[in-house]
Amino acid sequence: MRLAYYPGCVAQESGKELDMATRWVAKKVGLELVGFPNFSCCGSGFVDEANSTLNTAMNARNLAIAEKAGLDILTVCSTCTGMLSLANHQLKDPKVRARVDGALSQIGVAYSGKTRVKHLLEVLTKEIGTERIRALVTRPLKGLKVGAFYGCHLLRPSAELGSESAEEPHSFEDLIAALGAEPVMYRGRVMCCGFPILFVKEATANRIAATQIQDAKAHGAHAMATPCPLCHISLDSFQNKAEKQAGHDLDMPIFHLPQLVGLALGATPEELGLPRHMVATDSALARIGQVAVPA
Amino acid sequence: MPEATVTANFDVYRYDPATDAAPRYQRYTLQLAPHTPVLTGLLRIRDELDPTLTLRYSCRSAICGSCAMLVNSKSRLACQTPVGPEIEQHGRIVIDPMRNLPVLRDLVVEMTTFWSKYSRIEPHLIDDPAHPMPVGRETTMSPAQVERFKETPRCIACGACYSACPAVEADAEFPGPMALAKLYRFVVDPRDGARRERLVKIQTEGLWLCLRCHLCTEACPKDVQPSQRIRDLKEMAVAVQGGTEPGSRHAIGFKDNIRSTGTLNEMKLVRQTSGLLGMVAQAPQGIKLSRKKPEILHAPKKIEGQEELEKLYELLDDAPPKEEP
Amino acid sequence: MQRHDVVVVGAGLAGQRAALAAVAAGLDVAIVTKLHPLRSHSGAAQGGINAAVGKEDSVDTHIYDTVKGSDYLGDQDAIEFFCREAGPTVVEMEHFGTIFSRGDDGSLARRPFGGAGFPRTIYAADRTGLALLQALYERLGTEAFTLYEEWDLTSLIVRDGRVQGIVAFDRRHGDFAAIAARSVVIATGPAGRIYGRTTNAHSCTGDGIAAAYDAGAALKDMEFVQFHPTALLESSILITEGARGEGGILKNASGERFMARYAPHVFDLASRDVVSRAIWTEVKEGRGFPGDFVHLELMHLGREKIESRLQEICDFCRSFAGIDPVTEPIPVMPAQHYMMGGVSTNIRGETTIPGLFSAGEAACVSIHGANRLGGNSLLETLVFGKQAGESAAAYTAKAPAASVTADDLDRETGRIRAMSDRKDGEAPAKLRLEMQHTMDELVGIYRVPAELVEALRQIRALKARYRSVRVEDTSKRYNLNLTDALETGHMLELAEVIVAGAIARTESRGAHTRVDFPKRDDGHWMRHTMATKTADGPGLSYAPVAYTRWEPKERVY
Repeated sequence: MRLAYYPGCVAQESGKELDMATRWVAKKVGLELVGFPNFSCCGSGFVDEANSTLNTAMNARNLAIAEKAGLDILTVCSTCTGMLSLANHQLKDPKVRARVDGALSQIGVAYSGKTRVKHLLEVLTKEIGTERIRALVTRPLKGLKVGAFYGCHLLRPSAELGSESAEEPHSFEDLIAALGAEPVMYRGRVMCCGFPILFVKEATANRIAATQIQDAKAHGAHAMATPCPLCHISLDSFQNKAEKQAGHDLDMPIFHLPQLVGLALGATPEELGLPRHMVATDSALARIGQVAVPA
Repeated sequence: MPEATVTANFDVYRYDPATDAAPRYQRYTLQLAPHTPVLTGLLRIRDELDPTLTLRYSCRSAICGSCAMLVNSKSRLACQTPVGPEIEQHGRIVIDPMRNLPVLRDLVVEMTTFWSKYSRIEPHLIDDPAHPMPVGRETTMSPAQVERFKETPRCIACGACYSACPAVEADAEFPGPMALAKLYRFVVDPRDGARRERLVKIQTEGLWLCLRCHLCTEACPKDVQPSQRIRDLKEMAVAVQGGTEPGSRHAIGFKDNIRSTGTLNEMKLVRQTSGLLGMVAQAPQGIKLSRKKPEILHAPKKIEGQEELEKLYELLDDAPPKEEP
Repeated sequence: MQRHDVVVVGAGLAGQRAALAAVAAGLDVAIVTKLHPLRSHSGAAQGGINAAVGKEDSVDTHIYDTVKGSDYLGDQDAIEFFCREAGPTVVEMEHFGTIFSRGDDGSLARRPFGGAGFPRTIYAADRTGLALLQALYERLGTEAFTLYEEWDLTSLIVRDGRVQGIVAFDRRHGDFAAIAARSVVIATGPAGRIYGRTTNAHSCTGDGIAAAYDAGAALKDMEFVQFHPTALLESSILITEGARGEGGILKNASGERFMARYAPHVFDLASRDVVSRAIWTEVKEGRGFPGDFVHLELMHLGREKIESRLQEICDFCRSFAGIDPVTEPIPVMPAQHYMMGGVSTNIRGETTIPGLFSAGEAACVSIHGANRLGGNSLLETLVFGKQAGESAAAYTAKAPAASVTADDLDRETGRIRAMSDRKDGEAPAKLRLEMQHTMDELVGIYRVPAELVEALRQIRALKARYRSVRVEDTSKRYNLNLTDALETGHMLELAEVIVAGAIARTESRGAHTRVDFPKRDDGHWMRHTMATKTADGPGLSYAPVAYTRWEPKERVY
C-alpha cells in the first residue's frame, strides 16, 4: 500500500519519536510512505480560527499535492486528520470553493476533491485489519492495561470525519487488544487533552489533561496511548504541570500509537524514541518484560 | 405497525440530597419496542413502577428542551433517543442527570448557572441608531442574511451541549456552547447594532477557552453545531479587533508563524502568543523540554514551494476580508 | 406573604406578552410558571402566524375566513379586532427579534393554510412558535419583573367579589406561598392531556382554567375540542398542517387521495375539522390501514424541499417513529390538539371575576368559535396577551390593595397535605389514565349521545375516587407525584365541563359533531355555552354570539 505520508509539524521536530515509530511500523506492515517536501503545516486549528479561507486553501494545496501523485494521505496526527478533512468538507460549499479555487489557480494548483485522508489508526485497523496486525505480533503486550486517548479531531465533527463513532469509537481499543494488551474503558478517552488552550489559559489546559489522566488511572490504566502528537504534548510534555493541578503525581506513561504497535511487533525502545518522553515509560515496559533503557 | 419488543433494563441515578447519604442506581425493567424513546420508558416507569422517579419533561417532541440527561454517558434528549440502539450496544440503559450542573433531585439539575451565562451575553436586539427599525412594517432581511444565522435559531436551550463540554467542566469562566451560539445569532443579525461591541466583549469573557473538541456539536439534538459557530465568532473577533487576547494572539501568531517556512517554529510561537514576558515565564518548562527534545530550539527548514504558500497568504490574508452582505 | 401588582400565571406567548404590557405600564409584575418560559407549549406550534397585509380587503378576507372557519360561532366584533391587530402584532414580534423565513425580496414569507382564502400564514421554517417564544422571552428579559420559575398554581384567592391573589407552590423546594395581587392573568394554556391521544405537551393540564372555574369564573364553549388531523401514530406528535400546505397528500389503504371526496375545492387543505372527520370516517368505514391509520405522503415533494422547509417533521418521523418521510409515507391519525373553549373573556381579556383576566389558549373570547383556523392560535396569544396585560394594568391602577390571609394559605396546604398524609388511596396516574381512556373512546370527533352520557358517568366516578387520591412520594423536592395529583384533579373538573356541554348541545357545529344531530342548527344553537361551577357540577347557561357583517351560511370548502 502506497500512501502520501503527511507527518505534520510536530512529528518532524519535537515529536520526532512519532516519525521514527511510524517509519518502523510502516516497514513491518508493508506500508510504503511516500514523502513530499512541499507539504505545509495543516494550521493545527489555529489558522482556521484566524482566517478560515486561508486555512482551507492551504490544506487544499496539501490535498492537491497528494492528488497529483494519485495517492491518498496518511496522517499520524488526529489534528492534521481533522484539518485536512475539514478542508475537504469546506470545499463542498460552492462559495468557499470558488474563493479557494481562484487563489489556487494563481499558484498553478488545481484540486478536484479526490484525496482521502486516513489516519494510521484507520489504516491499521480497517485497511490492514486488526487480525493481520495480531498475526504480526511477536511480543504480545500481555499484562499491560492501556487507556486509548483518541484526540478530538480524529473523531469530530462527525459530519467532516465520520470514519467511526464520534462519541463511542472502538477501533483503538480493538487494536490494543490485538496487540495483546488490555484496553481500558474510561470517559476521558474521547475527551479533550486541553492542548488548544495551552497557551491561552495554561492552568485550565493542565487541569483538563489531569482530569483525563486521572480518569484513565482510576479505571486501571498502566499507560495511555494517543494517535495525536499534540495530545502527547499536553499529556506527556506537560504532565508535570497537570500534576500541579491534580495536586499529586500522575506517573502515567503516554505512548504514541505507532510506538505501542512497534513494541508488540518487536521494536526496541530506542528504535521507537521512547527515551525522548518527558514521562518515563519504564513502568509500562517492565510490565511487558522489556528492560528499560537509560534516558 | 406493531414492532416486536425488547427487554429494556434501565439503571437510573437516584439521589435526593435532602434525605439520601449518597447517590445510587435503581434498576427498572420494561418490555419496549426498539424505536421507543427513553423518555417514554421513564414515564412508564413513573406510571407503572415508581412515581418517585424525578425528571423534567414536557413536550416529548424535542422542542421544549426539558428532558436533557445522560443516556449511557452521552448527553441527549430522552424523548429523542430510542432505546433499541442503546440496548444493542450497551445491553442496558444507564441514565444520569446532565453534567456540569448541581443535582436537585434524581435527574433534575439546577439550571441557574446555565441561564445566567445565557443572559450574560445580552440575548436581545440592541438598537442600531444608524439603522432604526422601519415603522409599521418588518425590517427587510434577504434570504442570504437569514442563511447567515445557520442553524442557531433551532436552539432549544436544552443544555445537552453544556453538559457535554469539557471546558465548562474545567473552567467557570467559560460561557458554554449554548451562550456562545446565541451570541453568534445576535452578531450576525442585521437588525442588531452592537456587533462590534459583542465581539470585543466576548474576547475577554471566555470565547478563547473553547477547546474546539466538538463534543457540543455531537450532543446537540437540533443540529445547531455550536462549535462551528464559536469558530466563526473567533474569526470574526480577530477580524474586528486583531490580537488583543492570548487566544487571538495565538491564532494570529500561529498563522504568521508558519508563513515564512511553511511549518511551525515552536520557540517563536511562544513569543508571538505571550510576548517576551510570556517567554520568560515559559522558560523553565522550555529548558526542561529541550533537554529531551532539542528540536524545540531549532528553526525549521523552509518547505519546498513555500512561495506558493506565500502567494496564498497575499491573496487571502493580506487583502482585507470581504464584508458580508 | 409575597405581594405584586399583577401576577401572570403562565409564561408562554400569552403570559409573557401580558407581562410585557403590564411592565410597560410601570407596575410590579410577577410571572408564576410551572415550566421555565422557554419550555412552554407555545414553542411546539409549528406552522405559522396569520396576518393579512396592506389593503383593507385582505384583512376582510382574513376576518371572513375566521368567521366561516368558526362555523359562525365566533364573535365577529372580536374577530374584526383580532384580524386588524394581526399585521402590527407580527411587525412588533419581528422588531423584537423573531427570525422569520423570508421571500426573495426580503419581506416576510407566507404560506397557504387550511381554510384560508390565500397565503397569509407567516412562518419561521416549521418552528414558528419556538421563534416567537425565543424573541419574546429575550425581549422580556430586558425588563424588570419577578419570575417564580417552576411554581405550580394551586388556587385563586377571590374575596369581596374580586381577585386578591393566588396560592402556589414551589416545585423545587416544596414550599407553599400565598401571593397577594390586585390582578391576575390566567395564561396557562390548554388542558389537552385530558385526552390520551393529544398533540399537547404533558404539562397541558388546564391548571389555570380549573382554578378560574373553582373560583367561580365562567368558562365558555368548552365542548368545542379541535382534533388535528395529522398526528403521528403512537406518540400523537403533531405533524403540522404546513406539510399539507407544502403539498403533502393524505391517502387511504387503497392509495386514494380521499380528501377529493370530502373537500372538492381545496382537497387536503380543507379546515381541520373537515379533514379530521374525513380521516376518522375512512378508518371507521374500513378504508384505513391495519392498526387504524392513514398515510400522509411527502415523498413526491423531493428531498431538498422536505429537508429545508419541513426539517422538524423530518426529524420527528425519523426520531420518534423510525420513518424517513423522504422515502416512506407517514402513518397518521387525528388527535386532540386545541381547545376552542376556556375561561370566558371579552375582547379586553376580562373574565367574569373583577381583577381576573385571561388570554391565549386558556381563554375563550371567542375568536375561534366552534373551530380554529391554523395560524390563528399564535396570533391570538399575542393579540389578547397584550389586551389582557393592558386591561390588568388599567384595572390595577384603580383597584384597592389586595389582601391574602394565613387562612388562605392554610386551607390550601391542608387540602394538599391530606393527599400525602392518607395511608390508603389511589395513585393519581391510575385515575389520569382512566380519564384519558374515557375521553379518547367516548368524547372524540364523532359524539354519540349514549357514549357521552357514559363518559359523564365515568368522569363523575373518577372525581369521587379522586377524593381519596394518595401521594406516595414524601419528598419535598420536585415532587412529581404531587403535581400529578393536583393536575389530575384539575383535568377531571374540566373533563366534566366538556362532556356536559357536549351532551347539552344538540347540533353539529365546527369541531363538535353529533351523530344524532348531524346538521348545524342556527335557530336554537347560535349561542355560546357558559359553564359555572355549582354543587351539582357544571351549571350551563347560554350567551349570544356577536354579529357585525356576516350572515351565517352553510360551510363548504
